[in-house]
Parts: sequence; structure tokens; C-alpha cells
Amino acid sequence: MNLDYSVVFAKIPILLEGCWVTLQISFFALLLGMVFGIAGALCRISSNKVLNSGAFFYVWVIRGTPVMVQLFILYFGLPQLGIRLPSMVAGVLGLAINTGAYITEIIRAGIQAVDRGQMEAALSLGMSYRQAMRRIIGPQAVKFCIPPLVNQFIMTLKNSSIASLVTITELFRTGEQIIYTTFRSFEVYTAVAVFYLIMNSVFMVIADKLERRMARQ
Amino acid sequence: MSCIVEMKHVFKSFGAVEVLKDFNLQLTEGEKVVIIGPSGSGKSTVLRCINRLETIQAGTICFEGQEINDQSNLCALRTHIGMVFQRFNLFPHKTTLENIMEAPLIVKKMSPAEAEKIAVELLARVGLADKRDSYPRELSGGQQQRVAIARALAMNPKIMLFDEPTSALDPELVGEVLGVMKDLAREGMTMVVVTHEMAFAREVADRVIFMDQGIIMEEGTPAKIFEAPTQERTQIFLKRIRH
Repeated sequence: MNLDYSVVFAKIPILLEGCWVTLQISFFALLLGMVFGIAGALCRISSNKVLNSGAFFYVWVIRGTPVMVQLFILYFGLPQLGIRLPSMVAGVLGLAINTGAYITEIIRAGIQAVDRGQMEAALSLGMSYRQAMRRIIGPQAVKFCIPPLVNQFIMTLKNSSIASLVTITELFRTGEQIIYTTFRSFEVYTAVAVFYLIMNSVFMVIADKLERRMARQ
Repeated sequence: MSCIVEMKHVFKSFGAVEVLKDFNLQLTEGEKVVIIGPSGSGKSTVLRCINRLETIQAGTICFEGQEINDQSNLCALRTHIGMVFQRFNLFPHKTTLENIMEAPLIVKKMSPAEAEKIAVELLARVGLADKRDSYPRELSGGQQQRVAIARALAMNPKIMLFDEPTSALDPELVGEVLGVMKDLAREGMTMVVVTHEMAFAREVADRVIFMDQGIIMEEGTPAKIFEAPTQERTQIFLKRIRH
């Protein structure tokens, strides 16, 4: 055994930069993914056939194909059609489209888990569908959505490593670059893993606190 | 007395199941009508059609002379029609007071102070003034249903629909809910009540309707329906529920 982690320690500042990029990609992908997911869920429960089947198609295609293939289509495929996306845009957009499909299903399930009587009570008081969704159904659905959403957020943060393949220098790609010059693959990959674990752990702790607080209410 | 609700030749089916078959009903202002009948006879569906929670396949339903259909302003219509559900359907994420204030605030755009004043008064009226800051899960079923009645009354409706309001309650809690309903009846509210509480029907109803298989089999004063029903099916039903 000739493990030498001093190489890793020397590269911590660069790895932290990689973490920062990973966090940025994940943050924007999740933000956009939430927008896609909320819109998708509202379409999925809509009685409008076009919206409904559009959202169904979105979820079907995205869940049924690998995220890597989706990213490659955006970054390497689209230029052939004359659409050239910067790598960061392709990375964030690809991850957002992907996570948005899963979030669509999470939110749809959350909304449908709220007792039907709640909507009926709200409507019978003269509320519009929109008012009932925002004031009555939404706040109750959030409770059902939080645990699976936390899962999805974690998945997205880990999936962001795939963005390295469309030339974004996030944590994983930073690690690979360090290996090119140091040849310390075991040390660097394990260090990269630890950084992912730390980022996700911070997130899990926050999510756990949030969930506990919601449960008390 | 003017007609407040009129249902004419109403047909309603869920898939292949016909629930209302050429159903006709007229309600006069101030009238208290109790609908009885076996489960699946369409009693609840009648109520749910009146405030358009269910759409009908054929026929017309008029509220104060105006036909209600999909083009109507349903929200405005529903503010005039209070509904109380079998399972209360209080908003679990809101306190008792907030449950009652919600619709006045959101639908009627009342000021918070005004809405709170109404809510406090209504809570006192249903005997729950001390529960204003409790959440629904902290209340008994009977208390929850009284709050639900107060919530519906907060919109100052012209008619109240009760869909088996005591069926989900423990027997010892039924009385407190019926008490609130009797008070309401005494104050002159127009009421349609689907219930199995025959003593309540006898005491409060101007008219009892016996429904079976989507039609009105028989109707009349409580005395007539309970003492001298002419239809065999009414007799059988009454005999069954008395045992």
C-alpha cells in the first residue's frame, strides 16, 4: 500500500472550486427543475387533454431515457441543428429537464394524496380552483412532497457529475484533472466521494430539520 | 314564499350507473327538507348537484330563477350555498378561527378584522368560543362538525346543504351537532338535510322526501311519511332503520 493523501490535501482549494461549480449546477438545475415539475404536475392533474398528455409525454420520455443521453443530445446533438448551447447552459438545462420529470411525478402524487374533500370544501365555499390550490391543497401537498423531493435533490446533486462529460469543470472533472497530473486515482476519487457526501449530508440535515418542523405543525 | 332551488328532469350518471333519473325538486325559501333513503339512492348526489360539485347530464337546475350550468359564475353561486360534509373536511393546516375566516378573506376580500369579528361570533354561536386557536385534529368529531357549520355560515349563505352531517360521529356527539342545526332552522334558514336521524326529521322538517333508485318515491310532512307511508318501499325502509 502506498497511499499518499498529501496530494489531495495540497489540491483542496481546487477541489473546493469544483464543489462550488457542482453546487451552482445543482442549485440552478433544481430551481429550474422545480419550475418544470410544478408546471408539469399542474398539467398532469389538469382536465385539459393537451396539457395532460403533453406532461405525460414529457415524464414518459425523460424517465425512460438515461440522463447522460439527454445531456449529450443537448450539447453534442443540437449543434447539428444549428443550436449551440454553452456547456454550462446545456448542463444545467439537461439536468433541470431530467429532474423536472421526476419532480412532476412527486408533486402530482403529493397533490393527489390530499383528501378530495378538501377541494370540495374549498369550492363549496366559493373559492376558485386556483384559490383552492394555492390556499388549501398546496400547503397540504407540500408535506407529502418533502421526503421524496429531498431524495430527488440528492439524486440531482450526484447526477451533476455527469455534467463533467459536457466539459463542465465541476467536482468530478476537477478530480480527474488532478489525477492526470498526479496519477493518484484512489486518493483523489475517494476524496471526491467524500466531498459529495459532505455536500449531501449538509443538505440532508437541513431537510431533516425542515421535515420535523412540518410534522409538528 | 319564493322558490329558491328548482331541479327539473335532472339526469345524472357516474359512468354506466344512473344515479338520478328524471329527478324533480322544488325548494321554497325558508323550507326545511329532510331527504332519507337507502344508500346509493342518490340523496347526496342531489345536494352535490345543487352547488354544482357534480355536473349533470340532462335537465335544468335553477337557483333563485337563474339556471346554473358550466357557463355560470360557479364561485359566486357557491357563496350563496353553504355545504356541510359527512367527514367535516376542515382545513387541517388552519386553526378553527382561520378555517372560518378563510373564505370571507379570500373570496369576499373582507378585511382581516372584519372576517375575525364574524368568525368569533360564529364560533360563539356554535358553542366553541374557547376553541378559536385549536387545530381541527385537537377537536372531537362533533366539535369539528360544528366548526364546519360555522365555516359555511361565514359566507352568509341563503341555503344550507347538509350531507349526512352526523353519520361519521360517535353516538354521544350527534346531539351537539343536531342542536346547532335546530337553532339554525329556528332562525329561518333554508335547509336540505340528508340524514338518518329520524327524530331530527320529525322535529325540524317541513317536508320529508324518501328517495330510492334515483327518484323521489314519496314525500310529505314528517307525520305522513313516518306514520302513514303509502309506498311499500318506504314502509320497508322505515321498518329496517327502526330496528
